[in-house]
Amino acid sequence: MIMHAVNQSLQPILDRPRRATFSWSRRSIARWALLAVTVCTGCQGPQSALSPAGEGAEQIAALFWAMAIGAGMIWLVVIGLAAYALRIVPQPHDKRSSRRWVIGGGVIVPTLLLSILLMFGLAILPALVRPAPEGSLHVEVVGVRWWWRFIYPSPDGGSFELANEVRLPVGEPVQFDLRSADVIHGFWIPSLGGKVDMIPGRQTRLTLWPTAVGTYRGVCAEYCGASHAKMAFDVVVMPREEFDAWLRQQAQDAIDPSEPDARRGSEVFLKSGCGGCHAVRGTAADGSIGPDLTHFGSRHSLAAGSLENSPDNLRRWITEPQSIKPMAVMPGYHTLSDADLASLIAYLQGLE
Amino acid sequence: MDATPPNAVPNAKESDESLLAIFVSPAVWAAHFMACYITAAVWCEKFSGDSLSLAPVRVAFGVYTLLAVALIGVNGWFGYRRIRRTPGDHAYGADRAEDRHRFLGYVTTLLAGLSLVATLFVAAVALFVETCH
Amino acid sequence: MNRPADNDAPEGAPKNVQEQRLLETWRTPRGWRYWSAVNNTEVGLWYTVTSGCFFLFAGVLALLMRVQLATPGAEFLSADRYNQIFTMHGSVMMFLFAVPIFEAISILLLPQMMGARDLPFPRLSAYGYYSFLIGGVFVCGSLLFDAAPKGGWFMYPPMTTDYQPGIGADIWLLGLSFIEIASIAAAVELIVGVLKCRPPGMRINLIPLYGWYILVVAGMILFAFPPLIAGDILLEMERAFDWPFFDPSRGGDPLLWQHLFWIFGHPEVYIVFLPSVALMAMIVPTFARTPIVGYGWVVLAAVGTGFLSFGLWVHHMFTTGLPAVTLGVFSAASQAVAIPTGIQLFCFLATLLAGRVVGSVPLLFIFASLATFVFGGLTGVMVAVAPFDLQAHDTYFVVGHLHYVLVGGTIFPLIGGTYYYYPLVTAKQLSARLGKIAFWLLLVGFNITFLPMHWTGLLGMPRRVYTYPAGMGFETLNLISTVGAFVLASGFLVVLWDIVRPKGKEPYAPRNPWDAGTLEWLAEMPLKPWGIRSVPIIKSRDPLWDQKDLVHDIDEGRFYLPDAEEGLRETLVTSVIDARPEQCLRVPGPTFLPMISAAFTGGVFIFGTYHWWTPALLSGAGAVATILIWLWTGTARVPEKEAKNVGLGLELPIYISGPSSVGWWAMFITMLGDATAFISLVFGYFFYWTIHDDFPPETSAGPGVVWPVVGGVLMLLAYGMTIAAWRLNRADRSGAFYFTLATAALLTVGGAAALFAAPWSTGLDPTRHSYDAIVWLLVGWTVLHAMVGVLMQLYCLARRSAGHMTARHDADITNVTLYWHFLALTVALTVGVIAGFPLLS
Repeated sequence: MIMHAVNQSLQPILDRPRRATFSWSRRSIARWALLAVTVCTGCQGPQSALSPAGEGAEQIAALFWAMAIGAGMIWLVVIGLAAYALRIVPQPHDKRSSRRWVIGGGVIVPTLLLSILLMFGLAILPALVRPAPEGSLHVEVVGVRWWWRFIYPSPDGGSFELANEVRLPVGEPVQFDLRSADVIHGFWIPSLGGKVDMIPGRQTRLTLWPTAVGTYRGVCAEYCGASHAKMAFDVVVMPREEFDAWLRQQAQDAIDPSEPDARRGSEVFLKSGCGGCHAVRGTAADGSIGPDLTHFGSRHSLAAGSLENSPDNLRRWITEPQSIKPMAVMPGYHTLSDADLASLIAYLQGLE
Repeated sequence: MDATPPNAVPNAKESDESLLAIFVSPAVWAAHFMACYITAAVWCEKFSGDSLSLAPVRVAFGVYTLLAVALIGVNGWFGYRRIRRTPGDHAYGADRAEDRHRFLGYVTTLLAGLSLVATLFVAAVALFVETCH
Repeated sequence: MNRPADNDAPEGAPKNVQEQRLLETWRTPRGWRYWSAVNNTEVGLWYTVTSGCFFLFAGVLALLMRVQLATPGAEFLSADRYNQIFTMHGSVMMFLFAVPIFEAISILLLPQMMGARDLPFPRLSAYGYYSFLIGGVFVCGSLLFDAAPKGGWFMYPPMTTDYQPGIGADIWLLGLSFIEIASIAAAVELIVGVLKCRPPGMRINLIPLYGWYILVVAGMILFAFPPLIAGDILLEMERAFDWPFFDPSRGGDPLLWQHLFWIFGHPEVYIVFLPSVALMAMIVPTFARTPIVGYGWVVLAAVGTGFLSFGLWVHHMFTTGLPAVTLGVFSAASQAVAIPTGIQLFCFLATLLAGRVVGSVPLLFIFASLATFVFGGLTGVMVAVAPFDLQAHDTYFVVGHLHYVLVGGTIFPLIGGTYYYYPLVTAKQLSARLGKIAFWLLLVGFNITFLPMHWTGLLGMPRRVYTYPAGMGFETLNLISTVGAFVLASGFLVVLWDIVRPKGKEPYAPRNPWDAGTLEWLAEMPLKPWGIRSVPIIKSRDPLWDQKDLVHDIDEGRFYLPDAEEGLRETLVTSVIDARPEQCLRVPGPTFLPMISAAFTGGVFIFGTYHWWTPALLSGAGAVATILIWLWTGTARVPEKEAKNVGLGLELPIYISGPSSVGWWAMFITMLGDATAFISLVFGYFFYWTIHDDFPPETSAGPGVVWPVVGGVLMLLAYGMTIAAWRLNRADRSGAFYFTLATAALLTVGGAAALFAAPWSTGLDPTRHSYDAIVWLLVGWTVLHAMVGVLMQLYCLARRSAGHMTARHDADITNVTLYWHFLALTVALTVGVIAGFPLLS
């Protein structure tokens, strides 16, 4: 009860209404972020935590700038004092005034600053780890060495699987339910917000709230073995209508190829045993060991963000996957004839 | 030279001193810290149910904190008394029993202060976090 | 110097005879026997040089990584090789350099600072050194055979259980456990050294600050390393015998490892950092020409940091999806620890302000340290704020931060300390010119390397990646870091050259070359093997500044122990608070026993890595046998006389037992560490209880109640009889003593068998579920300790019958009784947990 009263009294200071999860002083955040971006030209990048495109990332970036500026000032004062004491001080100061530095600089100021920082951090913390509000989009993510399984709710009520690319509607919260199929991975889209580990035997979650349309990049943050460096994915944030259209399209089965070359490729695909590991919905290929390829052609990259999705890269990947992603489970199909390979690539790239 | 005979100082005999006295406040901090952490972790994992309410944990934080602050206060007070009641100046750098006595009091007091701040830092969490999420 | 006063040797033999005898007694063995030396100056030097070599090795690994990361998509190293290298870089730096170098330097310098002739357990130091050497070479060597661990220095399961079948992870677990045990041995030695081996008069308020830091750091090792050892046991049991501690499909949980690892891992950072602050605390007053300002504040900072550092471990787990309340609690402690850290730095600044600063190379490195460490500390406060950590965690920001802390906080003071203390080791001085060149190369190189990393991390580059794609904005920053790394390396090369370059033609350093105030600078140049000519009475924190004629009086042998009449190595044991002389302790001289027993102990771990159980067992038996010989021949020997005159008319006993003796303290401290490891295992039990809805699981029969209780009662009876035997020995009732202790040993064996029968009779299968496994482990731990208890009881029986233990000389049984206090607690807790707790829940 006392605590409740304290909460009440802190309310106006902290300005964090409980109804809207993420509305903690949005205006001041926006101001900070604007300032930061104008100051910072080297902050841009598809994977940058400092060019935020999500509420969490914006808050944290603002927090970073505030702390960085404060830390910089403290550093200058301390080092200035050290330089003064070492080089410039002409006469020894008396003990008493020196001791004042210990009490003032060593005790009082740090305690005050740390108290403020602690309150500040604690105030924004609950919102960052809270689940998304009821009715938000849920995407299930499974980390697999070294790629990502994304499971979306399909418009008809079931669910369907995609891989290595996630698309989100802008301006809405989305909750990622995170699991791991093998070792510990870390799910991280720096531009949108913080990261959360994916731990075998546990389910963790991360709520993000994209605020800007664009293409970003997510990576595995927790060391997960040989190809940890090659475990990324693309993130596309799009307007709601486009997202809905995309979701409907992705939920559908693959369309049978019409071109003869691609049709031949589909036969190569099945004959070579690709379907043992990969699924192409609507065909006999229903493997679940590797990534789902139903709409492979619509993805930006291949091999979990390792290469741009182009015919040449795909050829490299099919024939020698380990050279691109060490210890990858997929065997190299270097025995395929050039013609078979060309057809297979045409088929896969046509799966839009 | 300080003319005060060593026996004028209460408890300045070596056998009455204990090095452990200076560790009391940090140990109280540690106990408070572990109690808070374990209570919160066990409650949220096993007992919070679907509501995920943290209310009982917050009350527990309050109780632990009152207890810890009281203990640290007492320990700090004992330390402070040793500084104040020991005759002579407040220095503690000379080879005298009372300096050693004062020194142990001084360190006890300072550690009590630090432990107090650290305890309150931990307690502050209960003011801001309201659920088990 | 030929003054009449020279003949004033207070009593006993003439001065030159005394000196001759001292020299003879403390002489370092020559030829191949040199390696049998156990004196702190030799062991400390080997220790320092060896850990320095490991530092260089890990540094070369870092350069390899930087070459690989200089450009995107580079193929200089394969992914597998890179992962081995980064794992080894972290592990070697932490386990084979940062912690050992502190122990090395302390073994080398602490006795000098305390005016002692040696540490209380020279053979333990030597044993620790050889363990370190064997384990370290074993672990590093694995890299040459492409068999090195590659799970990161944090070794998270299940990657390191199910997904890395080679022996790399076993090498890490067993090789480093072995070294951790050596570290704990050194910690015991150093704690007893600070508390019990100070010069007379050095009251607790007069200890050099280095001593306070050592006390705190050694205490931290004692409580931080055992949880890791417990974790190592769990992980290795899962790897070797499939006990599913971390396998979620059988009731295990990978997060338990993370808790145990980081309960060790975070204090570790301060274990590494505080000794360097200790060096700063010695160097700063010397060059400020004034005593430290705020001695009490520095003590506060050391002790406070030691405690608070145990409340930070979960900040390495902020992204594991723990509830906000947990994150908050650890975030709060993580920020609180910044307060004492700041205080000590401001004490140094205040000392510099209050003094008349004299420039020097060591001071330059103190400045470098302040500039970098403060920066790292500030970024540390930033990552302690949980929301920010959600972004920064596992990125190059953290790589930058931790190197600012560790290089700034640890390496720079160490280099400063090297320049400062070099004369105490070789009697020569390092070059100020080279020192200045090194300073600039290191400071500039360091910042070029690590400053950009903060930015790289915030641009989204995760840690522990063997390569990165182009187009993310990482390219330029990484190239800069690589260039900086080579500048930094060139700085280390300059320091290395300065250390090893031949100095035969240079004159000896003057005595006390820096005009310092602390006792270690008494050392004569060239150095004498006896450490200190006579053990002085100390009246000040800076005795060389404040105590008139101290050096002269010491040199003249006017204080304690100026002679070695019996040709035995002796040092003083004093009381904890006021350093009142209590005992004339005889310490052992050169022997190969520590080397042999370390080799046998190493055999257990190394053969165990390859699952060669028979050689491992034989090796273990060899280790036990050599350690028993060592104890039998070297400890608690009944002296030829009860007391001796140590000088200045002071008669001190030669043999003491109980809480005044160093052996009692060593046992007590060791058992604190041992109990911590046990508590960590119990924590594991309750951790599983917390995460499971049904624990113990309904499918498991549990160990029952009858057998555990029978076992517990028998062992507690044995405990009571051990205490009784200790009393009977003191009362000199020989027959009753033998009967009681022998019965106690039998009861212990019976109790252990009953305890073992508990899970056995109900068919608990340790590979089935984490519950069965943890119950078996608690039982196994207790039974193993009971067996050691039996060995100790038998040892006491043998000692008394051989006349090495009498009613008056009862250190053996006293220390064994102390062991049994802890064993009784272990038994009670084990029985309570495995038999009692299931009844409650």
